[in-house]
Amino acid sequence: MFKAAINAELLRDAIAALAVIVDEVRFKIKPEGISVKAVDPANVAMGIFELGSSAFEEYSADESEIGVDLNKIMDLLGIADKSDTVRMELEESNHKLLIDVGGLSYTLSLLDPSTIRAEPRVPQLELPAKVVLNGADLRRAVKAAEKISDHLLMGVSEDTFYMEAKGDTDQVRLEMGRDQLIDLKAGEACSLFSLDYLTDIVKPTNKVNEVTLSLGKDFPIFIDFEIANGAGRISYLLAPRIESD
Amino acid sequence: MNGTLCIKCKGKGLCGRPRCPILEKFKTLQSIAPVISGNSVFGASPPAIFVGSYGYPRVSAGPLIPPLAKESEAPAFEEPAAWANMQIEDIISLRSRMVRANTNFHVKDAQGKENPLLIKAQELALSRKPVDTEAWFFKTPKQELKFDAVLTPMGPSGLVKNFELAENPKVPKKVDYLAYDTDALAKDAVLELYKGDIPAEHITRLLSIGLLGKARKIVPTRWSITAVDDMAGKEFADRIKDFPWVSEIQLFSGTHFGNHFEVLILPRAYSFELIETWLPKTVWSGESSWIAEDSEGYEGKKGYSTLAGGYYAARLPVLEYLTEIKRQASVFVLREITPDYWAPLGVWVVREGMRKAMQNPPKKFDSLEAAVSDLAGRVRTPEAEWIQQAKLLSDFRFQTTLDFFFRS
Repeated sequence: MFKAAINAELLRDAIAALAVIVDEVRFKIKPEGISVKAVDPANVAMGIFELGSSAFEEYSADESEIGVDLNKIMDLLGIADKSDTVRMELEESNHKLLIDVGGLSYTLSLLDPSTIRAEPRVPQLELPAKVVLNGADLRRAVKAAEKISDHLLMGVSEDTFYMEAKGDTDQVRLEMGRDQLIDLKAGEACSLFSLDYLTDIVKPTNKVNEVTLSLGKDFPIFIDFEIANGAGRISYLLAPRIESD
Repeated sequence: MNGTLCIKCKGKGLCGRPRCPILEKFKTLQSIAPVISGNSVFGASPPAIFVGSYGYPRVSAGPLIPPLAKESEAPAFEEPAAWANMQIEDIISLRSRMVRANTNFHVKDAQGKENPLLIKAQELALSRKPVDTEAWFFKTPKQELKFDAVLTPMGPSGLVKNFELAENPKVPKKVDYLAYDTDALAKDAVLELYKGDIPAEHITRLLSIGLLGKARKIVPTRWSITAVDDMAGKEFADRIKDFPWVSEIQLFSGTHFGNHFEVLILPRAYSFELIETWLPKTVWSGESSWIAEDSEGYEGKKGYSTLAGGYYAARLPVLEYLTEIKRQASVFVLREITPDYWAPLGVWVVREGMRKAMQNPPKKFDSLEAAVSDLAGRVRTPEAEWIQQAKLLSDFRFQTTLDFFFRS
């Protein structure tokens, strides 16, 4: 059993954040909330998504798992008003999700979860440096890098967090000291990431006040932020490019 | 002449000249085209149909008829797979023997049923085997040859008063069924024919003469060739995404009419990249060499490739191979065009050349470096000149995957 109601904008932002990683996901539904862990087809980026029951206006659920085509949900939420309430109810017997929003009633066919890649293991990484910054600053640095290069170097040197992109002829660098950051834990960190992935991943952070980045040397980056006033969170793990051989 | 522009344009007229100077050079070959006497032509059409793109949406189209050709010899005129051991000039002279019996149509004529010449051309297009055809021209067709980057060379042409099929076409069941199914989308019909082992030339013929799809239209041959390559390729790409990755690095190579192919299959999620290197003195390159790249990621290609029809023709055979072995891979193709490719033969050279390369036993490697150095040894363009454009190889070499960090 699963029956819930939630603000349309909140749900749309949360689904959009997941959709940058994969098109089809398994949602884990539990009495305390819903969650997803998914990796992209190339095994380079992972998305971890948790939305607690308190993020919902109404919520009641038993344990179950459903397979969802995110693009379909995005399409129908795209028509909804930001302030609309989305009401969802699972019809387990015929694998349908009933969705009521803005006076429209959708019957969404679910996917068989066994046809979707299983939930990945999350690697346990020890990432020495931690940076907390405004999401818009992160997005701006990534946008600037895109104009010049395919990759972005991110690192911490003493009390400074830096992002740097080098193209064939040009380069761009953004440095942020402690006073420009919300928080900084210094440590040895310097890793290169593909902008193909980063561009999509930082899109949802634009509206977020506090984004936490955990970094190491030639190690994946862990990007983490809260949604729904702390009732949910989204995290990404992105594998680095290692060019020194 | 600007060599770079010529390679991109391949005779489409981007330089503003009324005629392509490169294609004009081949006019000297006209002596090999047959001289036609009288105003009628009779022979077995392979079958072959041609639809021009000039003047679109008012186009000229009609059957290709090799005068006096017997039924037994006719199929060879339209079967690239059978030309593997011929010389370029032999192919040109073979193709130039076919006379094009043109009629002017509007592309939307395919939606009505009233044009008798279109109906006859469609009947011919349906056939799997040669059909004896007779055409009566207004004027004796001129001795001439026509070349194009996408199209196979063609001989004389003329406007017809009328043409008749002298026997009934032999129509495969699947073709018959889909030609009368006006509810199936062209895309779905093409795939079903492809799965039913109908040759690509036959599907192109059906699509171009307006026999497939819901809203039917006559489609210029050069567009329908690439449309068929693209539609079939997209379908196979979607299918292989459900398969596990190949287990090792494989390298295929082969040469076809001065086009050398190196095909590298890498154990990663699906992506495809083609690099073309044109050596100096090939048909389009003039005195300088030219290198270009185009690629697609897991989600496939959006928009039309900058490498035009050759991109789709190169992609299809690899996808056929991966579908057959039920594996997914990241595919890198290097196509080097040497001066031996001195006349444009059409995009089938790429498709057949790739198929030929994929039939050779692959070499297997433990590392990308070893595979690239082996590959580079067979290519005349220095590695430093093309490797920096090979985005897919750089991703494979440097982009780690998350499972790499599970070891600790």
